[in-house]
Amino acid sequence: MLVPTPIDSVPNRPPVGRGTAEADPADPDLAVCTCGLTKHYVHPWTLRRTRGLEGLDLGVRRGEVLGLLGPNGAGKTTTLKLLTGLLKPTRGRAWLLGRPVEETASRRHLGFLPEQPYFYDYLNGLEYLELAGRLSGLSGGLARDRARQWLERVGLGERPRLVLRKYSKGMLQRLGLAAALVHDPELLILDEPMSGLDPFGRRDVRDLIGEQRERGVTVLFSSHILPDVEMICDRVAILMGGRLTRVATVGELMGDGPQAVEVRCASPALIEMPPGWAGVVARTERAGETIFRVEDETRLPEVLGRLLQANVPVRAVTPQRPTLEALFLAAAEPERARRSA
Amino acid sequence: MIPLVVAHNTFREVTRDRVVAGAVVAGLALLAITQVVGPLALGEGGRLTVDLGLSGISVLGLLVIVLSGTSLVAKEVERRTIYNLLSRPITRPAYLVGKWAGLSAALWTVALLLGLALWGVLAARGLGDRGPAVLQGVYLAGLELTVLTSLAVMFSALSTPVLSALYTLGFYAVGQWSYDLRGLAARLPEGPGALLGTAASLVPNLPLFNMRTLAAEGQPTTWLHLVLASGYAAVYVGCVLCLATAAFESKDFK
Repeated sequence: MLVPTPIDSVPNRPPVGRGTAEADPADPDLAVCTCGLTKHYVHPWTLRRTRGLEGLDLGVRRGEVLGLLGPNGAGKTTTLKLLTGLLKPTRGRAWLLGRPVEETASRRHLGFLPEQPYFYDYLNGLEYLELAGRLSGLSGGLARDRARQWLERVGLGERPRLVLRKYSKGMLQRLGLAAALVHDPELLILDEPMSGLDPFGRRDVRDLIGEQRERGVTVLFSSHILPDVEMICDRVAILMGGRLTRVATVGELMGDGPQAVEVRCASPALIEMPPGWAGVVARTERAGETIFRVEDETRLPEVLGRLLQANVPVRAVTPQRPTLEALFLAAAEPERARRSA
Repeated sequence: MIPLVVAHNTFREVTRDRVVAGAVVAGLALLAITQVVGPLALGEGGRLTVDLGLSGISVLGLLVIVLSGTSLVAKEVERRTIYNLLSRPITRPAYLVGKWAGLSAALWTVALLLGLALWGVLAARGLGDRGPAVLQGVYLAGLELTVLTSLAVMFSALSTPVLSALYTLGFYAVGQWSYDLRGLAARLPEGPGALLGTAASLVPNLPLFNMRTLAAEGQPTTWLHLVLASGYAAVYVGCVLCLATAAFESKDFK
């Protein structure tokens, strides 16, 4: 078990002008703002200190969808728990919709879906959503109405009295989303919302997030699933080892560095690889086709020209998007280099 | 009114658990047994019924506290259902107060149901005149359970369910002997005596809530006793919940 180190003394009001340009708590356009947010865990017996998050300066603009990316242990969940008040920071401050996260009222317009959400299995779907609404400040009648609406909206309205212990994982995830949205929040924080869902479930979650963006809701979510992030995020923030290494649009991230391109040829290509292609073009023979992988897209015209000149039947030319792993590594490289230095 | 919402949910949680239903059934069975063995009590059947009926409320209530109450918060932390609550605009003190109020309400319901059954049995035996004393006995038993609930919620917020159960049972056992402990403290030398006296003051003064002997004889207690017991319970519960919230406030939910 890990316990927190004591919180530093920090001012109550957002310090005007403090923080980076990216995360200025005085900026009214920011829905989420963190300044030097840090979390260390100390093991109660060994007193060994583990870094969960270090000096996070991050701003999420109102109406924006921002994805938090990072491998396991990068600090994504720690960040989200610090923002939602489930963890106390070791140092630094955070604000939600202009209010410090230490204030309970900062969560009044917040909807949160934890990673692998757990529910009261003695309640049914309707009761659970009604409870969620009441806890977020809705009156009894309104909470009941909204619970019915949202149960319908996430496709669980046919059996509102079904107890939660009989729900499947996908149904629970949808219920969790409905619980996060039942009070019409201005800010949505989702921890791995697509984790463990089948393609249909992921599509539903993406649609729901897209709908919220249309409504002007700010969405901050963590994910490992790059295609989903690409589809719904305005910007992504990459965390590595508890540190923020990059904040950029998906397009900017994809545009970093040389892009690989795959050239597929319909039959075995009777062509010899020139020595100049070594290290740039990789050739793979498969049944009925040959694949040339061009690591640097600037060399593509040269490779294509040569293939066409040799009458090799080119079937497809496909740009290879970098994998999430490749993006992580690329983003982490400057940090690693800085540490080595 | 967030504590009321949490309390309502806790009440549902506890009453939908089989433990509460089991406690009510066991209490009714105990009353039935007193009617079977009553004739063997040589004219003391009514006394036996009241004594066992009120004891049943206390013991079965304690059983509900140990089986449900001591894991009330710890289970939420372990199953991570607490994330869904504390990420909403709820203060941690409001959450703990709601938990205590919900479990207390469930225990009062059990006490009232068994108290009504006891009164019904007495009325059927022509001992309806013991009704006021029995009512007072049920009220004091309910107060005793409310005090123990606050301890269970505090331990549950800070420890594992098993340890919480042990601590709660320990406080219950020592609390039953709090008068004797104070008497012993007065006879000891100053240092150890003061220490034991302080310890005796920290555990709940449970004999204050025990009027089984009086009720068995059909004698109501004084209003002063009821007011003092109510005031003591309110202060004790308040102190315990303050301690619990102070410790719970800085807790991290990893």
